[in-house]
Amino acid sequence: MKRKDIVTGLIVILIITVLSGYLLAQVYKITKIRIDEQKQSEEQRLYKEIFPEGEEFSEEKEYVAVYDGDDRPLGRIYHIVEAGYGGPIVIKAGFDIDSKIKDVRILEETETPGLGVKIKEKTFLDQFTGKSGNMLYLKKYNSEGTIDAITGATISSKAVSDGIIKAQERIERESGLNNSIEATTEGVEK
Amino acid sequence: MKLVEPKNFFAGIWKENPIFVLMLGLCPLLAVSSSLKDAAGMGVAFIAVLTGSNITVSLIRKVVPAHIRIPVFIVVIATFVTIVDYSLAAYLPQLHKNLGVYLPLMVVNCILLGRAEAFASKNNIFNSALDGLGMGLGFTLAIIVIAVLRELPGQGTLFGIRVFSENYKPFLIMIMPPGAFFVIGFLIALKNRTGGRKKC
Repeated sequence: MKRKDIVTGLIVILIITVLSGYLLAQVYKITKIRIDEQKQSEEQRLYKEIFPEGEEFSEEKEYVAVYDGDDRPLGRIYHIVEAGYGGPIVIKAGFDIDSKIKDVRILEETETPGLGVKIKEKTFLDQFTGKSGNMLYLKKYNSEGTIDAITGATISSKAVSDGIIKAQERIERESGLNNSIEATTEGVEK
Repeated sequence: MKLVEPKNFFAGIWKENPIFVLMLGLCPLLAVSSSLKDAAGMGVAFIAVLTGSNITVSLIRKVVPAHIRIPVFIVVIATFVTIVDYSLAAYLPQLHKNLGVYLPLMVVNCILLGRAEAFASKNNIFNSALDGLGMGLGFTLAIIVIAVLRELPGQGTLFGIRVFSENYKPFLIMIMPPGAFFVIGFLIALKNRTGGRKKC
């Protein structure tokens, strides 16, 4: 190969990558606004789905505190990221005041189309509602577990269950502090 | 070759169908054909990327030296895939989520690179656009047929809508990877039977 060929090759590929980079930057700028909006409204929509009676969702350090129209606390929504089969699964798990699961939603996942993506379906997620403790395990991993895994997607199902259990453990760790706060507010109300 | 040859459009749909005859691009085909909705979305995204990359490759075919053509093709393809990826994330977030990793993986799809190398780099813009549309449509039709044959027995639904009664026990293997191989194998056999089989 002659030196001239190498130089022209370099110039051509340089021009093409610069053009392509510029084009992508423009597309990114246009779509980013929409993508961010989508993400935000998606989060708000999920919060409302988990706590339909919730009026105010205030972001705390580790969770989202949910209040009803009269400022009474309804529960908390935890944000959990758990490794799934195809990448991270972002879970929003709502707990009511008794630390039982209110409802669960999946914000993001990259599971296998047709199999793992079914973790987002109500038939799977509804199994968690009203449960706490070891009941949150999959049936096959804990004798007290009550959750049926999705056929062909055990790893994805386990990731969701594991994530929720982690959130529950976080609540338990904070419970000392939490109980004292609740006790004082209850005292005031009474 | 004339400026515009309609046969370039039809070749991809039947005679040189990328799936059943050229046997390219089987990876996304296996992965995304378990539900009709995702398959149709993938098909449309595919047509957009293939037509765009074919036109661009044809446009720059005279200025790109032969020894660097492959990296140039990949840059062009990656650009279009990323544009489609961003646009779907912004305007069709649900479909974007369902397609997951298979959308960005189109960068290394061999139909795209194959058409750039075998066709677009040797033909004018119009014929390359026709070839992209035809091949894209051929891929889309193939993935849709396969998705119907997998989703219907595998889940008893079509487009997510229940077709068989609630009591239907799904033939689960059809939506798992082996089901895709069965369906593709049978369809290729059928296609060969209906003619166009090359004697080698």
